[in-house]
Amino acid sequence: MLIDRSKFSRRTVLAGTAAGTAVLATPSILRAQAQTLKIAVLLPRSGYLAQAGQSCHRGALVSAPVLADLGYKVEMVHIDIESNPDVARTQAERAINEGAHCIVGAFDSAGTLAIAQVCEQRQVPLIVNIAAAPQLTEQGYKFLVRNFPTGQMLVSGGLQQLKTLISATKVEPKTAVFLHANDTFGMAQRQGMDKLFPAANMPFKLVESIAYDPKAQDLSVEVTKMRSLNPDVLLVVTRAADAIKLIRDVVRQKFQPMAILSPGSPGLYDEEFFKALGPLADFCAYALPWANPKSKSSQALEAAFKKMQPDFRFPIECFNVGFTFDALLTAADAFKRAGSTNGVELMKALKSTNLVDHAMIGPPITFDEKGQNNNIPAAVVQNRGRVPTVVLPADVATMTPVLPAPPWQGRT
Amino acid sequence: MTALWNEIPRHGKWLTALLLLVFIAAPLVVDRYLLSVLVLVLYFAYLGQAWNLLMGFAGQLSLGHALYLGLGAYTATTLWLLFGIGPWIGVFVAIAVAAAAGLIVGWLGWRFGVEGVYFALLTIAFAEFTRIGFDHLGLTGASGGLFLPVSPTAHDWWNLNGGVHLFYYVALILAIAATLLAAWLRQSPLGYRWLAVREDPEAAQAVGINVFRVRMIAMLISAGMTAVGGVFYGFYYRNLFPSQIFDISRSIELILGPIIGGLGTIFGPIVGAIILTPVGESLTTFMQSSGLNVPGAKSIFYGIILMIIISLRPSGVWPWLAKHLRLDRPKS
Repeated sequence: MLIDRSKFSRRTVLAGTAAGTAVLATPSILRAQAQTLKIAVLLPRSGYLAQAGQSCHRGALVSAPVLADLGYKVEMVHIDIESNPDVARTQAERAINEGAHCIVGAFDSAGTLAIAQVCEQRQVPLIVNIAAAPQLTEQGYKFLVRNFPTGQMLVSGGLQQLKTLISATKVEPKTAVFLHANDTFGMAQRQGMDKLFPAANMPFKLVESIAYDPKAQDLSVEVTKMRSLNPDVLLVVTRAADAIKLIRDVVRQKFQPMAILSPGSPGLYDEEFFKALGPLADFCAYALPWANPKSKSSQALEAAFKKMQPDFRFPIECFNVGFTFDALLTAADAFKRAGSTNGVELMKALKSTNLVDHAMIGPPITFDEKGQNNNIPAAVVQNRGRVPTVVLPADVATMTPVLPAPPWQGRT
Repeated sequence: MTALWNEIPRHGKWLTALLLLVFIAAPLVVDRYLLSVLVLVLYFAYLGQAWNLLMGFAGQLSLGHALYLGLGAYTATTLWLLFGIGPWIGVFVAIAVAAAAGLIVGWLGWRFGVEGVYFALLTIAFAEFTRIGFDHLGLTGASGGLFLPVSPTAHDWWNLNGGVHLFYYVALILAIAATLLAAWLRQSPLGYRWLAVREDPEAAQAVGINVFRVRMIAMLISAGMTAVGGVFYGFYYRNLFPSQIFDISRSIELILGPIIGGLGTIFGPIVGAIILTPVGESLTTFMQSSGLNVPGAKSIFYGIILMIIISLRPSGVWPWLAKHLRLDRPKS
């Protein structure tokens, strides 16, 4: 075949190359100029973390209309990572392949770390909603931010708030026993306590730490041991089912500590806990980051939650729901400021986040150079009338704390 | 090995070469998502081969292979983290540690006549108490986990630090090596002793086979191979939690491939892994695109598919496939 040299000049080749490059680059340009932020929400909605993962998922579902009302343009893709890091990794790859501009997730540290590696290699921001392993923000990830305290921050913040609670209620406990589940979470909390309690300058002495198997049929042996020590305060790190067993055995053995407090763990505010124990669930208190009942975002979220999830109670789910909402809000806000879905631009905007109004209690959401928000205070929440109620800090509290807890007998 | 290759019919050789070529060239054609799925396929094919040696060849059911996986992973990553010993050297220590654990389990079981389901329970027990032990072992981060530093732009094959392409080829080499080793062992005198012991231990003993010894060798090799898989896992994910790596679900996950593919066969673990991992991923994609995004529904469908495969092909998919591809007849 002969080539017509007059038509096939260097200029034609250059123009052709430029056109070809433009065609090939179109998807990435479109991606960067998208009008809506596509967020892949990766959560463990099945498997052993399903309960918490589904709670976070409800938070993500409810967040969509709230974010839309606030003027943010986001589209969410919900992906189940099955409580399995293998699935988390492959699904993160798939979500990015299918056009996700950023990822929010993933409740547990192992799954989050698997996703973080993919995000780092693909230069797609990961906004961690819940995951406490300190290493997430200590390993040099450049495409990760976390609006959740590390394990140590949880324990130290929890102890600090319990100290405030004791001072606010003017009780004078002298001794405490620390009872914790011997599972992964419970042991991590124990390590945190061993490290932080001596320096926390608490007004009571820790006389014993007792580990228990959360799968045990009852906790009568542990409660008997505690009863013999007769502490004023029972510090607990529990899960839902064993928290019920604990209170039942404490009541059965007529053991009446001044307070049952948790320096940051689930169990005492789960729906099963209230259903199983009724009035006996009241007056247990826990120090955790919590939804701010007085923030506009939180109130809007609660209203949407009531409407969209009538089978669930917001005060019980607000920990998971609130942190998931805040992670999505952080992503949407960064997109609004960046005006681009390009990963690098989004990440730059995420690092300069300064979100004043958000769902959880605390100052504006900001991130340090490692991507960690270091300003997530704990609140003291006490079960009152079978509703988890913020009792401290005073500026966001809706009730005042009650200690010592009233006797088990006679509660209605 | 040459004799083994010569036994394969001509079209079988072509098929093997084609499959190999497909796997070698895959990173050039598939996207990162598919590549990460293929990494899992090869990883499970490798682990399936390791477990198949003990169960498929020697007839000993282990439901606690997560023990060797975890020990391998923790040994190599800890050596790297604390002493800077790279995974290519650490892997030998990992093999030794896992093999020693295998020796203890095997010795306790077979020396005292613990057989069958009781032996399976023993393997679970060892994996469980090792998990509990690691939950309290401060040196490896206890229950809080062990983390390797991440450098996303690194392409450091010596320290197994890099992108998905690096791990894909490592997994491919592992899967090929494990298949060759299994094929070689299967045809070796030791392999025939394993089969004899698997079929009838008393008869094997009667003809002079040291049943305890050949079982122990199977355990040593299987545990050592599984530990290598653990090293791969540790450096691929770069974080380890006792509750994840030693969990019984890990043990179950790694035995599904050989069971579905065909126990005691060379290609069964590969076929099983090729079926199971993509089925799982396809189900996830299907559930999401069809709007059936109900948590747990995927597990139900996955279970149903497994039941159908097992009921239709109780001896595994590979024997049936080999028959239809006329690969079950050695070249005369």
